[in-house]
Amino acid sequence: MSQSQSDAAGTTSPETSPAKGVPGGHGTSAAGVTITGLHKSFGDNEVLKGIDMSVAPGEVVCLIGASGSGKSTLLRCVNRLETPNAGTITVGEHEATHPDVNLDAMRRQIGMVFQQFNLFPHLSVLENCTITPRRVLGQSKAEAETEALAQLDAVGLEHLSERRPDQLSGGQQQRVAIARALTMKPQLMLFDEPTSALDPETVGDVLASMRKLAQAGMTMLVVTHEMGFAREVADRVVFMDQGLVVEEGPAAAVIGDPQQPRTQDFLRRVLHPLGE
Amino acid sequence: MAMTTRDRARLSLGIQAGIFLAVVIVLAILIDWTAIRSSFFAVESIGPMFPEIITVGLFNTVQYTVVGFVFGLLGGTLLALMRMSSFPVYRWVATAYIEFFRGIPAILVFIALGFGASLAFGWNLSTLQIAGSALAIVASAYIAETLRAGLQAVPKGQLEAARALGMPAWRAMVTIQIPQAFRIVLPPLTNEAILLTKDSSLIFVVGMAGGAAELTKMGRDGINIYQAGLTPLVVAGFCYLLLTVPLSLLARRMEHRNPRTAKK
Repeated sequence: MSQSQSDAAGTTSPETSPAKGVPGGHGTSAAGVTITGLHKSFGDNEVLKGIDMSVAPGEVVCLIGASGSGKSTLLRCVNRLETPNAGTITVGEHEATHPDVNLDAMRRQIGMVFQQFNLFPHLSVLENCTITPRRVLGQSKAEAETEALAQLDAVGLEHLSERRPDQLSGGQQQRVAIARALTMKPQLMLFDEPTSALDPETVGDVLASMRKLAQAGMTMLVVTHEMGFAREVADRVVFMDQGLVVEEGPAAAVIGDPQQPRTQDFLRRVLHPLGE
Repeated sequence: MAMTTRDRARLSLGIQAGIFLAVVIVLAILIDWTAIRSSFFAVESIGPMFPEIITVGLFNTVQYTVVGFVFGLLGGTLLALMRMSSFPVYRWVATAYIEFFRGIPAILVFIALGFGASLAFGWNLSTLQIAGSALAIVASAYIAETLRAGLQAVPKGQLEAARALGMPAWRAMVTIQIPQAFRIVLPPLTNEAILLTKDSSLIFVVGMAGGAAELTKMGRDGINIYQAGLTPLVVAGFCYLLLTVPLSLLARRMEHRNPRTAKK
């Protein structure tokens, strides 16, 4: 695998991210992510053109950018739902891009929340949260249910544990998805546009659950269009355009005072869709 | 004055009812009801057909169909997995098999097994073996496509969510994909069972001893035995309905039931 040079166009200095306080409340340590020279193509379409970035343990990083900029693909490379063409990714002690990596073991330490929730429709809410701990980690039913109910309680949905996913609102389904990921005690959480498919009135509850998780010290990599959330919760914001990191820095700086023209243009269109 | 939408709907209904009534009256006048009754509904010859039409005919029909369906399901599962294999030769073999047996009349398979197998290999197959394997060979081609479509109808996001949680590929398939695919394929599989029930009658081309006779064979023999026109065939036909109508109702119920499967 060739280590490609990082494309320098407009990239601000990486590697200088202040780690937030000690992770608390999870009983597991938080893992960091380091990405170097990441390339990914689908056929002739080069989606990632040399990404360098890192997330410190306990840090919350929001990935922003127009659709098609490669944010989701980058996220999906981290837990290897996509296989990169070149470059390296390390998550905690796992080297995600190593040919001999144990993908299942690595993924157990990385929680992922999808835009479309992807709850298992043939299982109850509680079973959604217990099936993997039981079948993969070998937990007893009682043990798995105790943990699942605690995580469902944390997102405020313990009372819906016997329901089927299709009986829940989008926001409730997404909070179950967060609880389901947390039952595996991950050291890193990936969020792929978690509120983009939601009715506006249910977005707040999902963001509140994510904020709570951030405050507990979880390492989080979040692809989002919620600039308010990014500004308030993220330690750092990374702006991507056409497969490259264009600008990154503290949330308030990137969103409030962007330096690169492409970032300025993107934020103007997102924050003032009707023009000024 | 212009007609309202409601008037027009009423007029349309009236015209349809008028045509229906006219056809019924014409048929009632033209048809020779005595001939119909003596050829198709000779009540006196129905009684003697029982209980054999049930204990032998219906029983054998069910037996051939069940054997064909069970082995067809096994073969179909194997073919569906081959069809989705990453090894291209498996895909080619499965595709060739499926296209071949979906493309030829089932009756050719019955003839091949009933006459060809004994000529070519000297096999002496029983009626159950011929009917069961002919039905299984044909059914497996159809069932393979049904199962493949069912597995592929489970959204990709379901497997991604399972893999992202750390489930190995086989575990994700067994725990997440197959249970959802099963709900999708139940109605089409029930329809397949209905088709097989009727196709079991094709064993008549091979011929069979009295004890192995199924519904169609018994109906045909009945014509000679009772000299009561086509009444025995009608009785046999109703016996098929005893099997296929409940299956059909079952399939419809399952289609209407709220599917516990991810949308899209």
